[in-house]
Formats: sequence, structure tokens, C-alpha cells
Amino acid sequence: MSNTEVLKPLKTWSHLASRRRKPSEYEIVSTNLHISTRPGAEPFELDPNVFINRWYKEKRDASPLKHPDWNAFRDPDELIYRTYNMMQDGAETYVMGLFDQFNEREHDKGLSPNWAGTLARLYTPGRYLFHTLQMCSAYLAQMSPASTISICAAFQGADSLRWLSHTAYRAKELSQTFPDKGFGANERKYWEEDAAWQGMRELMEKVLTAYDWGECFVALELVAKPAIEEAVLRKLGEAARHNGDTLLGLVIDAELADGVRHRRWASALVKLACDAPGNAEAIKGWIAKWEPLADRAIDSFCAALPDVADAAESAKQATRAFRRSLIGL
Amino acid sequence: MATLERMDWYDLARTTNWTPKYVTEDELFPPQMSGTFGIPLEKWESYDEPFKQSYPEYVKVQREKDAGAYSVKAALERSKMFENSDPGWKSVLKAHYGAIARQEYQASQAEARMARFGKAPGQRNMATLGMMDEIRHGQIQLFFPHEHVSKDRQFDWAHKAMDTNEWAAIAARHMFDDIFAARNATEIGLMLTFAFETGFTNMQFLGLAADAAEAGDWTFSSLISSIQTDESRHAQIGGPLIPILVANGKKEEAQKMIDVALWRSWKLFSVLTGPMMDYYTPLEHRKQSFKEFMQEWIVTQFERALLDLGLEKPWYWEQLLDEIDWQHHGMHLGVWFWRPTVWWDPAAGASPEERAWLEEKYPGWNDTWGQCWDVITKNVLDGNMAQTYPETLPVVCNMCQLPVNATPGNGWRVRDYPHEHNGRVYHFCSEGCKWVFQQDPARYEGHLSLVDRFLAGQIQPMDLGGALKYMNLAPGEIGDDAHKYAWAEGFRERMKKAS
Ligand SMILES: [Fe+2]
Ligand SMILES: [Fe+2]
Repeated sequence: MSNTEVLKPLKTWSHLASRRRKPSEYEIVSTNLHISTRPGAEPFELDPNVFINRWYKEKRDASPLKHPDWNAFRDPDELIYRTYNMMQDGAETYVMGLFDQFNEREHDKGLSPNWAGTLARLYTPGRYLFHTLQMCSAYLAQMSPASTISICAAFQGADSLRWLSHTAYRAKELSQTFPDKGFGANERKYWEEDAAWQGMRELMEKVLTAYDWGECFVALELVAKPAIEEAVLRKLGEAARHNGDTLLGLVIDAELADGVRHRRWASALVKLACDAPGNAEAIKGWIAKWEPLADRAIDSFCAALPDVADAAESAKQATRAFRRSLIGL
Repeated sequence: MATLERMDWYDLARTTNWTPKYVTEDELFPPQMSGTFGIPLEKWESYDEPFKQSYPEYVKVQREKDAGAYSVKAALERSKMFENSDPGWKSVLKAHYGAIARQEYQASQAEARMARFGKAPGQRNMATLGMMDEIRHGQIQLFFPHEHVSKDRQFDWAHKAMDTNEWAAIAARHMFDDIFAARNATEIGLMLTFAFETGFTNMQFLGLAADAAEAGDWTFSSLISSIQTDESRHAQIGGPLIPILVANGKKEEAQKMIDVALWRSWKLFSVLTGPMMDYYTPLEHRKQSFKEFMQEWIVTQFERALLDLGLEKPWYWEQLLDEIDWQHHGMHLGVWFWRPTVWWDPAAGASPEERAWLEEKYPGWNDTWGQCWDVITKNVLDGNMAQTYPETLPVVCNMCQLPVNATPGNGWRVRDYPHEHNGRVYHFCSEGCKWVFQQDPARYEGHLSLVDRFLAGQIQPMDLGGALKYMNLAPGEIGDDAHKYAWAEGFRERMKKAS
């Protein structure tokens, strides 16, 4: 080994050192973290045919969505754990402040019993829907081929728990003013039986079982989440404002801010994916496959929404506007 | 009060199981991803996590924790504390970060598996927070060592180690993949959070935090104690699964998962944490011996946790108690002897004063391990350095992937537990490792240890140089004695007199 050069310390990790630009804190702590994607190696250091190795080879490595360097993906927001908590602690302080002030002003007592019934049927059962987003985001977090993608998906999963938590909180609070509307008791029944929810339920049960990671990404980020955000959040928020439920309108606005961020990373990933041949076609194929189911989900939910003109049409248009904005497709 | 208390609405937030209609329950929760054990969805709903935290509480508390840990680091950055610290302590940091940082990140993937596939709603929520915690532990334990990469090439391994075929990296991957990354949601709950995190991370993080504080490394001490506060929350994900498994007739399965995870954790800790605590940490800063930490955290506390949940001590308990006395001494000797094959500089920890401490903590050390160190010491003092290096690879265990070794001296025990399976002979270091294999041979049978790869011709040329290349280790980063052999000087006078 006498003629081998002696390695000198570098300014950053060796895998980032060849680039000119000084790496950001985000890059230092977020890039190339997966252990299960070592080139030429089994995902897991066990028998090559053990169930979980087969699962990852089939549903991640053999996905129709392929790219020579998924590790090149960067979250446009460069969020890391530390900054995520700063941001969301601030956002939660705001929402908790809303809950506090509106409670102080006895907001719920000003709501009509009719609207309260709508909330029991179309708002608080949403925690089941948000939980499916939480679960599905966690699936993407464990199946994505690069840590920079997984981390976006994980934060999105936590955001979904945030939406779920707001909804659980309000279910409890509303039950105090409207003890006869079934708040905190009938959500599962509505979710499982009410026609308004069945489209969303079918969509998410099926998206949850789309186990190919590429298809899961497309079905969740480009189709299902936009449908949910446009119908179950935005349109419900419009109905709320019309019915004097300012609080719900504001809470939904706060949640939609998370949704806008999710669309930023999803858009950036589509752009990266479309650098490689075949991916745009694969993505379009999946959109075509999932869009009808999402449209039906929007239709059945919006059909039950009071006081929003053309809710379904405008929600569907908004999902298409998002998809049209995607660069590379 | 104008806002609700957490417990007013917490139960609603974890009432999220529903009956799938458009897909089957097994499609939604594939049994091999969920770890269903034939137990239907509704039976998991009695799950009750003891450590409850809501989303708004989580982001608030975690923001504050990070503010604390990062500000300690920032305040001490210019203090030269690192530059002035003992080379043995630097080795503790290098070995720790390389073996742990990216495995912590990988634990976020396992937590995500529980968040998606767990059948208990409370488990899914707690694992969502656990997934976030482990991203924290991966990121913060990369950010801290990154400060040192420009001073010392070995710190590159804080990130790089897990991408390589370095032997300790193979052992760490095999063990961590086996107890969490390649497991289902129920197994992860029991094996990662209950067996590993309540037992071993306590020891690694609280034990090393104590040593770090003694050594004056406040940055590392505050970092890892802060991490431990997260562990102590998400480590409680697994416990509530046990009564559900027991009530549904799966006690034996639960016991087996824990027994496998505990044994596997022990072996990795014997090579990682044992040498750190008993050899690398400067003598004056050692808070307790590795054996004492093991007795406190594993033998006493973990045993109690097991019994409290209605499970039994693992069948190998006596063997474990026996190994606590000696296994890590052998691992240390091996790591030091094969020091070019690691990404840190092992401290021999064999000066006269250190040997006196070892003899006190482990009576009989001088008559056994001490004999090997006598030979090494003599070679060092005589300048026969070539004889302090290996020429070949050691025999490694087909389970723990670690060198097979045993206490030398009069009581020498030959330690090989061979086992033939489908025409291939596997070698194990212990009954425990062989037993793990026998529980599920298909899980392990096709894996090749480093020695198997060597014999299969995958490592070329077939010498130490070829092995180092295979392990991604080059001059400038390969290990050498941490103190440049200064520890041997204390014996020079004695040796002169003797000859
Ligand atoms: Fe951790
Ligand atoms: Fe072993």
C-alpha cells in the first residue's frame, strides 16, 4: 500500500465533496441516508429471498418509476426536523389561539343546529380520512428510494396527524354545545355508511393498497390529496364561512397551508422524475387510472355540501389546474 | 378554561380503526407487513400507550429540545474542547456516530412501518411521532459530527460507514435489519421499541452521557441525553402490544421476538459499547464499568420490565450473565488487533493503571486477557510491530457477523457452534446465535458473512489489502492505536527488570 495516496480531511461528507457549492444544513443532514439502497446489494442484510427483501425489490426497485439518481431530489422548502418543529409549533400556536378566542366568544352557540348537523356529518368524520393520509404518507416514507423524498413524506404524515387532531378536538368541543348531534360518537358510522363519504373511503382504501411506490406517490400526491384538499377542505371551508362558521374556515386555511407545501415537494419530484425517459408516461397512466375514482369521491362529497355553488365542478377543476401546473408531464 | 385539555380529545384522535369495504382487511393490513398473527382488527383496539402526547404538544416540546441541544453545541464550538479531548474519547465519538446515526434514520422507516401497518390506532399515532423522532436522531447525529470532518477524515464515516462493507458495518446492518428494518409492525414494536430501546439504548445513551459529562464533553452529553428523552417515549410503543398478544394466545411468539432481539442487541453492544466504556473512555472519566451498566440496565431493569408484562426471562439468561463478564474483552482485543479494519482509532486501554482497573472490575482479567496483552505489549516495546497486526481474517459468526472468540487462559473454551442446514455448514459464536438461526433459517440462510465472501472469491486480492479495499478503507481513514502506543511505555522498566 506504499504508493497509495493518504486521504485528507474534506470540507464535508465525501459524497457531497465533489460539488463546488458549500452544502446547506439541509443537505448535510438529509441526503443519501437510506441504507437499503446500496448499489448491488440486497435491500436488507439478510437472505435475499426473505419476504421483506422481495417486497422492496418488487415494489420499490422494480417500480415503473425509475431514475438513475433519486438521491438528487431536494425538498424545495429544505425542511429539516429542527425547522419543521419551529414552523409547526408556530402554526399550532395560531390554531390553538383560534380555538381559545372563539371559545371565549362562545362561537359554537352562534351556529345553527342545522349547520351543526352538517358538521357532524361532513366535518368531524374527516378524522378517518385524514388518518388514511397519515398512514399512506407513512407508507411513502418507508418505500421511497431516497431519504430526501422519505423525509418529505414523513413530515406530511405528521401534518396529517395534525389535521386529524384539530378535527378530534373540534368534535369534542362541538359535543359540548350540541350534545344531541352525535359528535365524538357517530363519526365512524358516517365514514362507513354515509353516501357523502363513500367515494373518499373507496379512493383511500384503494390508494392505501397501491403498494408500488411510484403508483402510491402519484395516486396519493397528484390525485387523492388534491381531491381531498379541494373538496373536503376548501369547499367545506367555503360552506362554513357561508354558515357563519368563521372558525372552521380559518382552521381549514391553516391546514391548506400544509397542503400547499406538500404540493411543492410533489411537483419537484415530478420534475426530477420526468428527466428520465418513460416516467412521464408512467405518471400520466396512473393519473388516468386514479382520476375517475377521485372525481367520483369529489362528486359524492360535494353533493352533500350545502350552500356552495358548483362545488364539485370547481373542486375537480382545481385538481386539474394543479396537475396541469406540473413541469415535465 | 377556553381550550380543552389534551385528555378531553386524545381518545378521539386515536379512534381511527374502521372496517374496510372496498379492499379486504388482509389487503389493507397484509399479515406479513402488519404482524397480524391471525388477530383481527378490533382486538387491537384495546391498545393503550402509557406515554401520551398530542401533536401540538409534540411540536412544542421537540422545538424546545432542539433549541437546547443546538445551543449547547453552538456555545461550545470555539471552545477547543474537541481538540483537547483524549484520543480515546474521540474514538468513542467516531465509533458511535458511524454505527448509530444512519441506523437511527433507518429506525424512522421502521416507525413508519408501524404507523402504516400497525393494527392498533394508538400504535399508529405514537409511531408517527416515533418516525419523526428518528428523523431527528439521524439528522442531529449527522449535524454534530459534521463539524469535525474538516479536521479528521475518520469523521466522514459518521455518514459513510453504513454504505460500506466494513465488517462492523455489516454486523450492524445484519443486526438492525433483523430487529427492525426488515420486520413487520408487531415485531418492530416488540423487538425495536421494547427489547432494544427500553434495554440497550438506555445504556448507550444514558451510560455514554454519564461518561461524556465526566469527560467534559457537554455537547455530546447534552445531545445524547436529549435523544434519550425521545426514546423513553417511543420505546413504550411495544409494551402495550404484549397483553394483546398474550390475550390472544400468542405469548410464546411474543417471548421469542424479544429473546431474539435481546440476544442480537447484546452481541452488537459487546463489540461497540463494551470497548467504548471499558477501554476507550479515559480511565479517570469512567463512571461505571460496562458490566455494571449492563447489570443495571439490562439485568435488573429489563428483567423487571419483562416480568411485569407477564413474560419470562429469556432461556439463555445464564449464558448472558456469563458473557457479560468477558465477551466484550475478546471483542476489544479483536478490534484492536484488526485495527486497520475499523474507521476509528481503538484505544488499547492497557496501561498499568488501566489494567489495574480492569482487574478490579473483572477479577481474573490479568490471568486471561492480560496474557494476550502481555504479548502485544512486549512486541510493541521490542519494536516488532508487524507481529501486532493480523495477516488473515478472523472466523466470524454467521449470525452476529462478529469474530468468534472466548476467554483465553486455563479455562479456554473452544467456541464454535457449527450447524448444518441444507448442505451448508454455518458457524456460530454461541448457542444464542445458533438458536436465533434455527428459529427461522429461511430468514438468514442465503446471507454470506465477510469470511464466506472471502472464500467465495468476492474479495480480491485475497489478503488484508484486498479486504481493506472491499471494506472501503484507505490510508488516512483506517484505524491505528489511539495513543500511538504510549500506553506500553509504563511497562518498559518492568520488562527490562524481567529480562
Ligand atoms: Fe432513536
Ligand atoms: Fe454470534
